[in-house]
Amino acid sequence: MNNVIYEATIGLEIHVETKSNSKMFSSAPNVYGKKPNTSVLPIDLGMPGTLPTVNKKAVENAIKLSNALHMEIDHTLYFDRKNYFYSDLPKGYQITQNERPIGKNGYLLVKLDGKEVRVDIERLHMEEDTCKQLHYTDFTLLDYNRAGVPLCEIVTLPCIHDAKVARLYVEKIREICVYLDVSDGKMEEGSLRCDVNISIAPKGSEQFGTKVEIKNLNSTANVEKAIAYEIERQKSLIENGEKVRQETRRFDESKMETVLMRVKTDAVDYKYFSEPNILPISLSDKFIEDTISSSYELADVKFERYTQEFKVSEYDALTLLKNRSLALLFDETVETCSYYDLLIHFINGDVLTYVSGMNAIFNLSAKHLGELINLVGEKKISNAQARDIFKQIVKSDESPIDIVKKNDISQISDEATLLTLINRLLDENPTAIQDFKNGKGRAASFLVGQIMKETKGKANPALASKLLNEELKKR
Amino acid sequence: MKEELDLKTIKDAAHRLLFDMSEEEFLTLQSEFKVTLKQMKVLGEIEGIDEVAPMTFPIETKITYLREDVAEEPLSNEEVLSNVKEKQSGQIKLPKVVL
Repeated sequence: MNNVIYEATIGLEIHVETKSNSKMFSSAPNVYGKKPNTSVLPIDLGMPGTLPTVNKKAVENAIKLSNALHMEIDHTLYFDRKNYFYSDLPKGYQITQNERPIGKNGYLLVKLDGKEVRVDIERLHMEEDTCKQLHYTDFTLLDYNRAGVPLCEIVTLPCIHDAKVARLYVEKIREICVYLDVSDGKMEEGSLRCDVNISIAPKGSEQFGTKVEIKNLNSTANVEKAIAYEIERQKSLIENGEKVRQETRRFDESKMETVLMRVKTDAVDYKYFSEPNILPISLSDKFIEDTISSSYELADVKFERYTQEFKVSEYDALTLLKNRSLALLFDETVETCSYYDLLIHFINGDVLTYVSGMNAIFNLSAKHLGELINLVGEKKISNAQARDIFKQIVKSDESPIDIVKKNDISQISDEATLLTLINRLLDENPTAIQDFKNGKGRAASFLVGQIMKETKGKANPALASKLLNEELKKR
Repeated sequence: MKEELDLKTIKDAAHRLLFDMSEEEFLTLQSEFKVTLKQMKVLGEIEGIDEVAPMTFPIETKITYLREDVAEEPLSNEEVLSNVKEKQSGQIKLPKVVL
């Protein structure tokens, strides 16, 4: 038994809460973090006599996502009722797309150890979110703000065999959502939620093993950890002669293991049927084409552009692309600044540190960032000076050129001026020369420090250091 | 298609649909199904029926209307909770629910 090699088969279901002003079927505001039960209209409460109307923006978001996932897009929208009895569902049914999802037969490519792995996506359908339940020891509270928030559910085929691929896939879906600006993709806030179906069987077997579902994974790291744990758990059950039960489990982050929630004794019967309150909706070719062509640029396309057109390194491009707002800042800044390497390093370094530190939107225009990097590129100011000016412009939104003029900030890059100063300092510090000759590297650093002190930080540090070394060798 | 629905299937469907009936009512329903299934069989014999797409609505019609994404003033918390028997912290309170 122990010699059997098992292979895991994994399918993922991702629910994405999409961005819009109003809800999927009602005009109540689609907002997060409001006081409970304050973003609600009678439709969201399932009041008798109310009728759902389909939100155009939610449809556009679904089309953009389907297109990014290489899917066939249905030109007619059909909705169905998924019936179940539970307190999070005021109508007793959820409006979803069962028979005719808006997107089908798509795929995504993810990169694992430099190799591309294809993940086949079966369907993408639109539906409404349920209300939020807060469970206490002996009672439950209901908040209907989330009821009716537009969702896209993206379902893969059971085609993944590796926990890492599953994680990369979820990361890629999140990246696409964020770059298309169809969702903020925050797993910790529940705007992107992931359920995993997983079974194991001897490698090469044509039959799947018994499927276990892991629900509500709240980070991509936990997707990988939960799957890795679950594969081992199922393996050890089989190797000990036990059977894997069909059940729903959750991931306990503190114990790093999956925990039983409930055993599935029978397939749930949702009694799907057509939603009679929404007639089939025709989408014109123009509407679909216009929606697709108005999609924002994806990270993969930006990556190609940055590395091909701007010749920045893959590492720098990938670092920048981790943050969409910084990538957009870069895109806007390159219109006035062509020191691409300097710019990307500055954004990945100083700007990123600043943004992470304050955790808020900051007051920096691309125009001023461009001016600042141009000043560095033209060797008019040093990196250190640029850093100081940056700290001022994020607060005041002042022009770096004006700051430089006003404070008489400049960089001394004139060799003759620097040489005069260097030789004077060497004459005044014979011990430092001796230390340098004795191999004490600190002597040179000390002298560079003296140059910066004498010039009030204006000397071009790289040039000063080069000239100093040359002069030291002459002595 | 089955010629006849057995009582077990009907009772299972009733259970899934969350209702219960007397034994007599189940038998009546079973005999009604017999008639319905017979009629379906007649329809099923029509040539080329498999190629006809099922209708989901009684009239073949499509609309193009999509609601513009404009948020309206929501109900106040008091209005939302006005029919509620028990409430707490602006929310509806109910006995503990575990699915």
